[in-house]
Amino acid sequence: MTLFTKRLCSACQEIKNSFDLEALGIKVEELGPDNPDALAHLAWHELVEDAQKNLPILVLNDSSAITDMLEIKNLLMRLSRKKK
Amino acid sequence: MSKYPNHIPPIKGFIETSFSDWPGMVCAVIFLPYCNLRCPFCHNHVLVLNPDSLENISLQSILDRLKPFKDWIDGVCITGGEPTIHRGLPGLIRKIRSAGLMVKLDTNGTQPEILNYLISEGLLDFVAMDVKAPLNDSKYTRASGVYVPVEIIRESIETLMSGRVQYMFRTTVVPSLHSRDDILEIARMLKGALGLTLQNFNPKDPLDPQMRKEKPYSDEALCLLQKEVDRVMKSKN
Amino acid sequence: MGSVLKLKKDSSSETTDMALFVHRSDEALDSWNRERIVEALIRETCIDHDTARAISKEVEEIIMASGISTITAPLIRELVDAKLIERGLERARKMHTRLGVPLFDVDQMITHPNKENANVPHGPEATNLTLAESIKKEYALLNVFSREVGEAHMHGTIHLHDLGFIDRPYCSGQSLEYLKKFGLNLPNSLAMAKPAKHPEVLLAHMVKFGAALQSNFAGAIGWDAVNLFFAPYLVGMTDREMKQLAQMLIFEFSQQAVARGGQAIFTDINLYWEVPKHFADVPAIGPGGEYTGKTYAEYEKEAQRFVWQLFEVFKEGDGAGRPFFFPKPLVHITDKFFQTPGHLSFLNHICDVAAEKGNTYFVFDRGDTAKISECCRLSFKLERSDLEDAKEPWRMRYSAIQNVTLNLPRLSFMAKRDDTRLFDKIADIMELAVRAHLEKRSFIERLLSHEESGPLTLLNMDTDGTPYLRLNRSTYLIGMVGLNELTQYHTGEEMHESTEATRFGLKVIAHMKLLADHFSRRFGMRFVLEQTPAESTAHRFARLDLTYYPDEASQVVKGNPAQGEVYYTNSTLYNVSAPMNPIHRVKYEGRFHPLIEAGALTHIWLGEARPSAPSLANFVIKTFNRTKNDQIAFSPEFTCCNDCGKLDRGIHDRCTYCKSRNVDGITRITGYFTRISSWNKGKLGELKDRYRNHEYL
Ligand code: SF4
Ligand SMILES: [Zn+2]
Repeated sequence: MTLFTKRLCSACQEIKNSFDLEALGIKVEELGPDNPDALAHLAWHELVEDAQKNLPILVLNDSSAITDMLEIKNLLMRLSRKKK
Repeated sequence: MSKYPNHIPPIKGFIETSFSDWPGMVCAVIFLPYCNLRCPFCHNHVLVLNPDSLENISLQSILDRLKPFKDWIDGVCITGGEPTIHRGLPGLIRKIRSAGLMVKLDTNGTQPEILNYLISEGLLDFVAMDVKAPLNDSKYTRASGVYVPVEIIRESIETLMSGRVQYMFRTTVVPSLHSRDDILEIARMLKGALGLTLQNFNPKDPLDPQMRKEKPYSDEALCLLQKEVDRVMKSKN
Repeated sequence: MGSVLKLKKDSSSETTDMALFVHRSDEALDSWNRERIVEALIRETCIDHDTARAISKEVEEIIMASGISTITAPLIRELVDAKLIERGLERARKMHTRLGVPLFDVDQMITHPNKENANVPHGPEATNLTLAESIKKEYALLNVFSREVGEAHMHGTIHLHDLGFIDRPYCSGQSLEYLKKFGLNLPNSLAMAKPAKHPEVLLAHMVKFGAALQSNFAGAIGWDAVNLFFAPYLVGMTDREMKQLAQMLIFEFSQQAVARGGQAIFTDINLYWEVPKHFADVPAIGPGGEYTGKTYAEYEKEAQRFVWQLFEVFKEGDGAGRPFFFPKPLVHITDKFFQTPGHLSFLNHICDVAAEKGNTYFVFDRGDTAKISECCRLSFKLERSDLEDAKEPWRMRYSAIQNVTLNLPRLSFMAKRDDTRLFDKIADIMELAVRAHLEKRSFIERLLSHEESGPLTLLNMDTDGTPYLRLNRSTYLIGMVGLNELTQYHTGEEMHESTEATRFGLKVIAHMKLLADHFSRRFGMRFVLEQTPAESTAHRFARLDLTYYPDEASQVVKGNPAQGEVYYTNSTLYNVSAPMNPIHRVKYEGRFHPLIEAGALTHIWLGEARPSAPSLANFVIKTFNRTKNDQIAFSPEFTCCNDCGKLDRGIHDRCTYCKSRNVDGITRITGYFTRISSWNKGKLGELKDRYRNHEYL
């Protein structure tokens, strides 16, 4: 799974602070002016336009994407619980 | 059931995406070998005369190939050759349907029994049947290259027109085989049907090499003829 | 053009006085005067009088000693330049350069067709254009661009498009509202026309203004929402009358090959079925330039009936049933399209045209973000200031100033398969392209600064309080050729061969996109990536790379090197001959489109296949819903018989109907339909390789 984020975004920061993303096997891509890899990855998932409107976006292993903040949190919560 | 065994007929050709074989659908096309007719204008004659020169393609590999396109490809068009001469056709169609794909059948209408069976079993979403000539033995035989008792053709036409499945009739128009009157006779005979689509003969590589010299009707002429056909089919009396 | 100098040596005399006559361009004779060399050197360069005089003497001696009896003025100039070089006066030599065309070249141009741009027919007017272009091209390379930029172009590292039109911006997009509101009032024209009262007059204004724009811009002229902006003039018209108007419009633009240099006006007409959101509440301007008191939303019916008739005309084709080459109809599909009644039958209608003739372009404007189509399909999201503009649509005038294309495969050759080096090279070349844009901009600014007395008066006219050309809102295009070959050389795989290769290609474009953004911020200009209409560029780059990088280039060029028919794959497209399902093509190529703000397009080659229109409609809807693809077009191919006049699908070497061999192929070349006989060699190679959608069996 991949979490697309950007710098200085409070929502992205919130997710990063509240979950141990690494432990959940989630790769964090931080979009920014000097990260072409992240942008290319975003384009591969056909999310360039979505990301202009709204971040963070969580891309699941089947390539489907969740853009709703609440949904992302719920999913991550469930995953964290399973881990324990 | 034993009439239609489970073994799958060989598949000799596969088109992943076609915009031209099923009106309104994006479909894949598979080609089955052999045919009981020898239409001189046939452009798939390799499948008819010499199918062993073509490799077999496994159904599984086709279904695997189509899987990633499942949001895109609505169904599979089964053509040939003549698919209905294969007893395993119902089994093949069932396999395709269980992969979530619709099925269209192209047929020359010489096997009314299996056609009727397929329709009754709800295995077909669309049938395109070729009507080669007006329904008299000599004209039909000339256009088919072998003797065809027209009664079986009539039976297939009636089966389709009974309204249990979507269908279309098609005629490949060849100037030396079909006069304008012949075409209009076919149209009159099919009156009440959903429609008859004329197709232009392509002299590039026909079954009968003689046909290569044949000049097809121009697009405009065919278009006018089609309009006449439409008028006849729609007329009340 | 060149002046001829006749040199007669007086054989009875041993002295150096010569009877020399100058055939000047005004067809007068001048006698030899060494002082002219001196005058020219002083006027044109900055060398001192003594040096100038010394040079003139030396040159005179050479001429005399040569014993030749006839000499041309250009030769004398070259001799002077040789002397400047001997003295190390390189700057002076450059300033003293003479621009011109060798006799052989002129003869070639006059007698053979121009292969560089298939849009140019061959004829006296066309050769005038080519000759003028060749001089302006040299001028541009010497005098507008820095040496570095000029050399990069000459070597084929980058391609500066339309150098022959150096003194114009690249392309222009506008709406009819400008003409409806202000009438046709061209600078330098004697008569001024008030706003049109009738649709035919509005059309006449559109055509004339289009021609005027063509003489002020190098490339495409685009018109926004044509059917919608015509609509207030169409109230109460019958379908028949509308069809007639549609016919007039299409024939006018398709037959404009009588315009500049015998070149058709490269015209795009943007069309809508729905009234797009950003125009729905805009007060409509009607006959006489007056507000009608209604909004454009209230003209939906007229706009729809008109666009329907336009496609009726496209479907019929020209007098011989051939597809129209121009204007290009771009149908925009927004989310609102699917909520607008009748959209399905309209979609079937335009798909019918796509299947029969191929004209239709399907442009996808997804999401609520309103987009405006510019000349080269540079759509951009309306920001606040643009939304203000949309309320007064005559303000919506957009232009790209220049188009620079990058030779991507060469960068991979130079990088020798090293990632860091490759991305450094990309950064370097992007910077070079930006530099080329800065240089062009300051040149255009200089021309504009002469205002009324300068060459670009049309662009300076400020009918609505701002100059016609809004330089501050303009864009600067950066195109690319051969992403596929870059990827192939660098990773060992073409983009269609593996996911990794595609993802690498995406990384290259993402890198370029971020660099473009970076330079935009730094210079306060809009640099955007574009899919180059790479007619001749793809061929030129491939040819030059075979010369400069033979070992590397020969591994990846496409086409047939033995016949000189080589090319690179256009822009970010996949190999045209890859056996790629059209679904994959729209999906995969579409992934690049959001990174490329201008002119991204996927072609689906139909070849001979005659598809069912509703099946194409089905595919178009899926492409809208399931991909990020910006724009698609279906491209059939035709053979047109010059003997019996009949048209058949597919490219054949003889006519299907009368078997004549006197036939022409018609197919889509990068952006528009054209006859294959006018293609350059690279394009011919591509045609042979093209993978058509019906060759699956
Ligand atoms: S055209 Fe005739 S010969 Fe050919 S496959 Fe069809 S029915 Fe058989
Ligand atoms: Zn002919």
